[in-house]
Amino acid sequence: MEFSPEKSLWFLFVKGDLNAFSGLFKHFYPMLHNYGVKISGNKELTEDCLQNFFVYLFENKNKLENVLNVKSYLYISFRRYLFKHIKKEKKHLSYDDLFESNKDFVFSAEEIHIQQENFLIKNKTLTTLINSLSTREREAIYLKYYSLLTTKEISEVMDITYQSVQNTLQKAFVKLRNKSESKALQHILNP
Amino acid sequence: MNIHPIMDNIDQKLLENLLEDTSFINWAKKKNQNDINYWNSWISNNESKIETIDLAKSIVIGINFNKTELPNDTVEKELNKVLTTIDATFAIKKHKQTKKNILSYIPYGIAAVLAIIFVVLVSNNNATITHETAFGEIINLTLPDGTSVVLNGNSFITYSKQNPRNVTLVGEAYFKVKPIPSTKAKFWVTTNDLKVEVYGTKFHVNTRDKKTDVVLDEGSIHLVLKNGVTKKINPGEFVSFSKETEKITHTKVSKKNPYKLWRNGTYIFNNQTLKTVMKNIESTYGLPIYFKEKNLEQIIISGGIPNQNIEICLKAIEKSAGIKLIKRNDSIVISTQ
Repeated sequence: MEFSPEKSLWFLFVKGDLNAFSGLFKHFYPMLHNYGVKISGNKELTEDCLQNFFVYLFENKNKLENVLNVKSYLYISFRRYLFKHIKKEKKHLSYDDLFESNKDFVFSAEEIHIQQENFLIKNKTLTTLINSLSTREREAIYLKYYSLLTTKEISEVMDITYQSVQNTLQKAFVKLRNKSESKALQHILNP
Repeated sequence: MNIHPIMDNIDQKLLENLLEDTSFINWAKKKNQNDINYWNSWISNNESKIETIDLAKSIVIGINFNKTELPNDTVEKELNKVLTTIDATFAIKKHKQTKKNILSYIPYGIAAVLAIIFVVLVSNNNATITHETAFGEIINLTLPDGTSVVLNGNSFITYSKQNPRNVTLVGEAYFKVKPIPSTKAKFWVTTNDLKVEVYGTKFHVNTRDKKTDVVLDEGSIHLVLKNGVTKKINPGEFVSFSKETEKITHTKVSKKNPYKLWRNGTYIFNNQTLKTVMKNIESTYGLPIYFKEKNLEQIIISGGIPNQNIEICLKAIEKSAGIKLIKRNDSIVISTQ
């Protein structure tokens, strides 16, 4: 049997080990915090939810023995937890309204660092372009390149098929490339 | 309906294959000269596919985010809040339980005994063994195969009973692997970033700070990094690798190169900044460190520091760096003398 450090910590946590729980907390809190703020646009709300979420995990540890992928499990269930909470706060809004009104997954120019020589554009322009993508496309980009989840993990977190994740990413990059001025392809042969 | 005219020129099937192809990914990230050569020549022979290639390359390279790290003390503070809540709910539950009649526990008792017997019978062979240390604690272990391990504070190793020569480590440890010449059985240490593969040798592994450092004392070892690269290390060499940043360092431990290593309860620092030194103390003892003046972080330290006892350890650092360390209950503050 193959053991990853994450899994070993999880294994100990499920058995009630507080040190392992603290280890998991320290490892995952920062990334879930960032993800939560991106979804909700609200730091206090995210922190409240994270508090309750981790207490919930500890209280329900007996049911969590069979979690196979710790990282994607935490992303999936925290995402659900947060949505449930946001919805409770704004009962009159539908799920879609919620996403649109919250200005979620908006990136700042400081957050993005261009590596794409394909684009030949400035950070600021790229940021504007990314922010003009659909919410779903931005979330997929965030999960893939910020949270470093695999395509399969993203499909589980966003609750869409593997194929849809691939299509979403493709569409996003086609849009980015169409909108960025440079269509020059010569560079591709002299990397 | 076609909003994206460029999609017309995209070979969907090829695109999907490229995105799963390790050699193509290497080309896009300019990683392996063979792959670069291969794909460059493939592209010049398949110019009609250039749009597809270009799109695939964009997706592989992706968007590079600057990650904003939450400060450690914020995380620590939030953790303490959660732990307090957990403590409180625990106390309430215990209180409720004590009100129950002792007799009502008998069925549970029988069930528990049966469960234990069952577990012992079923999993006798693949049980997992775990050793862990609290902050500041150091333990000496002898594994079933005769390998000895010194486990530093705030660390743990785990292995299955069936295969004690395949351990997972989180934290910091020094290994003296017992060779088994008759079968040439290998010994593995797996961390988040890499796998160490050896026959019989002495080496040090540290997985703190989102990377793994390995220093070899004797013999030779192979490393299998999580990005698939394998490396051979010779005695006196130091390798550091992070899965997250894919940053790799491979140097000889010498007077000239700065390094830090840990051996049988002693930290050895060679030309390290006080900041690095204190980071080690922080992860061993779990006490957050505060520098009163920022320039103190850059003081350079060389020499061995015993870390079995925090008081002695801090005295040693105070002396060699010429600074003042104040240990409080929950932190260490550094200031000028």
